[in-house]
Order: sequence, then structure tokens, then C-alpha cells
Amino acid sequence: MFQGLKFEPFKLPDEAELIRQEVREFLARELDPGTLPNSDFNAGESAEFSRKLGAQGWIGMTWPKEYGGLGKSFLERYVVTEELLAAGAPVGCHWIADRQSGPLMLKFGTEEQKQRFLPKIVSGDFFFSIGMSEPDSGSDLASIRTSAKKTDGGWLLNGSKIWTSYAHTNQYMVTLVRTEPPSENRHAGMSQLVVDLSDKNVTVTGIRNLSGEEDFNQVFFDDVFIPDDMLIGTPGNGWEQVMSELGYERSGPERFLSAFRVIVEFAREIESNPSDEQLVLLGKLVSHLVTLRRMSISVAGMLGEGKLPLTEAALIKDLGNSYERMVPEIVRLSVSGDCSRRFVDTLNECILHAPSFTLRGGTREVLKGVIARGLGLR
Amino acid sequence: MNEQQQLIIETLNRLLTDLCTPEVVDRSESGTFAENLWQILTETGLTAAGIGVEAGGSGGDLEDSLLVIREAARFAAPVPLAEHFIAGLLLSEQGQSIESGPVTIASGKFIISDGLSLSGTADDVAFARWCAQVVLVAQGSDGLKLCRVPASDFDIVQKNSVAGEPRDSISVNTKVAAESAFSVDSQTPERIKLMGAALRALMMSGALESVLEMTVQYSLERSQFGRPISKFQAIQQQLAILAGEVAACQMASHSVVEAFSTFGELDIAIGKARIGEAVSICTDIAHQVHGAMGYTLEHSLNHRTRRLWSWREEYGNEREWQKIVGRHFCAQGADKLWGSMTAL
Repeated sequence: MFQGLKFEPFKLPDEAELIRQEVREFLARELDPGTLPNSDFNAGESAEFSRKLGAQGWIGMTWPKEYGGLGKSFLERYVVTEELLAAGAPVGCHWIADRQSGPLMLKFGTEEQKQRFLPKIVSGDFFFSIGMSEPDSGSDLASIRTSAKKTDGGWLLNGSKIWTSYAHTNQYMVTLVRTEPPSENRHAGMSQLVVDLSDKNVTVTGIRNLSGEEDFNQVFFDDVFIPDDMLIGTPGNGWEQVMSELGYERSGPERFLSAFRVIVEFAREIESNPSDEQLVLLGKLVSHLVTLRRMSISVAGMLGEGKLPLTEAALIKDLGNSYERMVPEIVRLSVSGDCSRRFVDTLNECILHAPSFTLRGGTREVLKGVIARGLGLR
Repeated sequence: MNEQQQLIIETLNRLLTDLCTPEVVDRSESGTFAENLWQILTETGLTAAGIGVEAGGSGGDLEDSLLVIREAARFAAPVPLAEHFIAGLLLSEQGQSIESGPVTIASGKFIISDGLSLSGTADDVAFARWCAQVVLVAQGSDGLKLCRVPASDFDIVQKNSVAGEPRDSISVNTKVAAESAFSVDSQTPERIKLMGAALRALMMSGALESVLEMTVQYSLERSQFGRPISKFQAIQQQLAILAGEVAACQMASHSVVEAFSTFGELDIAIGKARIGEAVSICTDIAHQVHGAMGYTLEHSLNHRTRRLWSWREEYGNEREWQKIVGRHFCAQGADKLWGSMTAL
């Protein structure tokens, strides 16, 4: 294969499999049988559930003990996240803080920031949003205009972020802003600030998505004062810091499990009397999923070794997202008319969320550009 | 891949670059066996890697031979490495050694009497016309018998696959030597099919890697509208899809290698199904990017793509293996679906 595109087989260690059992027992106890499980990481949230998860030690579990973590391996975390998604647990509140904001602070934050935020993320008390896209900046992230001007003891933030999931319920947002005017190097002059979403100069406006939920928002900043100690890393280094998150953001199980509950309900529909066609379809869906999962674990293994396989991560997300989009569309045509309510509800919910799968975290077009670069085409 | 395996692959790569040229592949299709290629592969021990030395093999790991077979498919090597390997494994289980001349394996309907009179027919026998011996399983009065029969005992009707590879129809009416018939268990035909499916999956994954490399290379070299076509976003997006499929196949092929020695049916089924499914996507893109040039017999892309179209059908196509996978997971039930997937 080409350089930068290598998927070595990787086996989850025994301790990861041990945690799997604990997570399953926890979920069997905690998940409310009255609600419909949804394996889309962004389609269900419960602060109460996140706090219970935190009490188990399963938020920020790879972080050092001094910040409340368990010092577990990246692969143990992998198992916890895939079990949560597969079971359809409401993970929306803590997902971003656990996956992205916490690791960012661990890597670039000051000691004071780590002390202040990480233990509260771990306990499931602090939830974070990501502030990247803007009304005029989607895939072209380098074109952002939200800016922070240096002032006495901090920064004055002005502008707006959009598509910010859970900004209306989360406490904080890690926000990418311009701290210097644009220059020839488009990627220079950006910084990451932690914005307190309860600040009176921050306005959060809900946006309804296709399924009618208001889980994402537009967030407006009107002379928001950000103290110096809320800047993460180095001023001007924001772009590099953001890029270093992408390996984690793009290669995880949330990139191919979003439609998993549809497969489960499909299996339930057919299990008593499957036709050949239905068995063939189930076999096809499983063959893809098993392979995607192995690729994702392979990248998790690389990340655990401190590597940064960005092309592989983009490739998993692109392949996984296409799969998530395909699942409801082929499943819906392979069942007879009289399906259970549960199946129909699961299917419809997935169809309404499906357009977001190939947009969030990098559109499929952007991802294919990243892969093309890995192939030496650009 | 360990050091030993790296060495094998490098040696093989050099050998095939020299000996398995597009001309050699074309000559095979027009009726001339790649004798020289086979002989040198045999002399270097590459046709029998992974088969015990006592059985006439070169020793080493089972994995070694799987890598050899996968690598040879990158070059569309027109020799029956896979069949020879399966035959070698079956014979070595009986304490028998394998000939150096290619040995093929026939799956058909054969009957053997207590007096060892063998009769029957088989279709789609790979390279039968150029092989020294045929290994087959025949139904006897008290169970199955593995037979090793000189190829000259058969009537051979020459037929070719869509790739132009020999897939002959053979029939026989002969007496098998007592030292060439062995009682085997009733699972043997299924095991042969499973091994065949595993090897075809590996071969497809090797050929697909080569298709990706050729297509990327071509896009960098071919200029239109004043620039290499690799610079066009439309082409880049297509190549990214191709790369994604090939990477998935690479991953699936690792699992097939691991499952081979234990006859792990599920992993082999998943591999054959997943890799077979990638074929149409990948060959579609590869041919589109190569344009009319790739549609000619002169361009060696066809050595890979036509083989892929042939191999995806052999030893069970995607549909057949998907059904096996589907049946297994359906039987677990919806609530055990995830658990049985992570237990794989």
C-alpha cells in the first residue's frame, strides 16, 4: 500500500475485554427500557446518565490519576465507547469533553487549567462544546472571522459560531478564533479559547434539525471578556492544535455505529423466520461492520502507541459514514410492510439524522481530499 | 509481517518483476504455460512455502505461503499456486509429499470402488491442462477418499475463465494406485471450499492493491486540459473511494490469514464477502480513470480486473458467503448481535 495507508491487525488486550463486561453490566442496570436506544453519539443526552458514567470512572479514563482519571489505556477507553454506542446509551453530554476537550487540555493546557477542568469533566459535571464552524466558514475552517483582541488581562471576543451541539446545556465551549488578522499563511494567527457559555455577553440560539430537535445552536459573542488563563496552548498555534485532535475525532466507533440500532431492530424483525435475501443482507451489513471495527481498532492501536495516523483516520470516517448512510436505505427495502412500531421508529430516526453523518467532523468531500493527499495526488 | 516474511516478499517481488511480465501473462492466455516462472518459483521454494520439509515443501510458516499467494496475485501470476498449495496441504496430512510439477485440485462428482476404480467429472479445474497431477475427493463405499491421480489419466476439455485463465472440464475412468488413495473425513470437501475461498480472498486483495497503485500512477502520468488528471477533484474523489475499499480489503485479508490455520469459517466468510464486494467498486473506478486505454487488452490493467471478476465468483461469491454470515448472526438473535460481533 501507499505510504501513510497501513492497517495492521491489532488485538484488544485482555484488560480491555474485562472492562467490556463491567460496562455491559452497568448498561443493563442503567439504561431506561422505556426509551428507544440510539447509537448515534449526537442523538441522545442525559446529564444524569453522564454523571453515573463519571462515577464509574469511565469519563476521562485515560487521563492521569492526579486529574481524576484512571490512567487506563486508549484501548480500554475504546471498548467503553463502543459499548456505549452499541447499546444506544445517551452519551451526548460528555462525549466531546471526553473525546476532545480534555485530551486537548492535557496536551496543551496549563497546570491550572488541568486542575480546574479535568476533574469536573471526569465526574460528569462539566460538559464541553466545540466552536469551530461559522456561518461563512464550514469546510474552509481557515476562513473563520470570529476574533479576539488583546485587552488588559485577557481577550475581547466577538463574532459567532454555528452548528454547536449542546451549547444550550453545556457549560463551556473550546472556541477557535482569530487572534491576529489573516495573513499570507491562512493557518497562522488562530488560537483556542475556553468560553464560559453562561457569560451574559454570550447568546445561544437553538436551531431545529430535520428531526425537530434543537440539539445544535448558533452562538453569538458580543465583547465577551476571556481572561488570559482561558487561552489553551500558545496564542497563534490554534490551527496546529486543532489538527492534532483529528486522529481521535475521526477514527472512533462513532463514525460507523450511528446506524447500528437499525441493524439490531432489523435482526429482531427477521430472526424468527428469515428469508434468504434477508440473511444475505444481514451478512453483508455485518461483514462491513466487522471490517470497519477492525480498521478502527487498528488506528486506536496506533494512537495508543503515540502515532498520528491522520490519513487512516480520515479514511475510516469516510468509509464508516458511507456505511452509516447505506444501512437504513437498504434495510428499509428488505422487510415486509407489517413491521413493528419499534423497528419503524428506529429506522425513521436514523433516516432523519443520516444527513448529518457525512457532514459533522469533516464532510465526506473534505475527507476524500485528505485521503487523496495521502495517496500523493495533491 | 516478520523479517523472514519481509525477505520472502522482497525476493518474490524481484522474481515476479523479472519473470511475470505482462507478456508472460498474455502468452499464458494464448496457450503457453509460464513454465519458466513455475520452475524458478519451485526452485526457490516459493511454491511450497509453509508445507513441511518432510512433505516435500520448503517448511516455514503457513502464513508464508499465504503471503506468497497474495503477492503473486498482485502480478497476476498465471500459475496455480493456490491449488498447488491446497493439494500440498491435503497430501501432507496423509504423510505424502507433493510433486514439483503443478498439482491442481478438482471439486466435482467422483466415485471410487473398493477396488480403487475411479470415475467422475469436474468443471472449472484450474490449470488442469498444464498440471502433473490432480488431487480430488471421491465417494467410496465406506466414506470419502482423497485421491492423487496423474493428469494424463483424464480427458480434459479446455475452457477458460473470464480472465482467460484455464478452468478445464475433466473426466476420468481409471484405476488409482493403492498408495495414492487415502480415507478422509466427511468435512474434507467443505474444508477445500473454505481454503479455496480464503485463498481467492487473499488473491483479490493482492490484485486490488495493484489496481490501486496502477490507477494512482496512471492519473499522475496522464495529462488532459493541460494538467495531470490527478489534479482534478473529480478524479481525486474517485481514487479516495478506491483507496478506502482497498484498505478495507487489506484489513479483511489480515483476518483471513489468521483464520486460515484454524478453518475459522466466519472470518473467511466475512473476508470473501467483503473483498468480493469491493471488486465492482474498485474495477469500476480503475477502468473509468484509465479511460479507453484501460479497456484494451494491451494495457495490463485487464490482467488484474478480469481476474478479480473471475475470482469473486469462485469458491462461492459474495451472496453465498454473506448468507452464511447472516445465518450465523441471525441465529444469535438481535440482542446478542453486538456481543457475538465483538467475540469474533
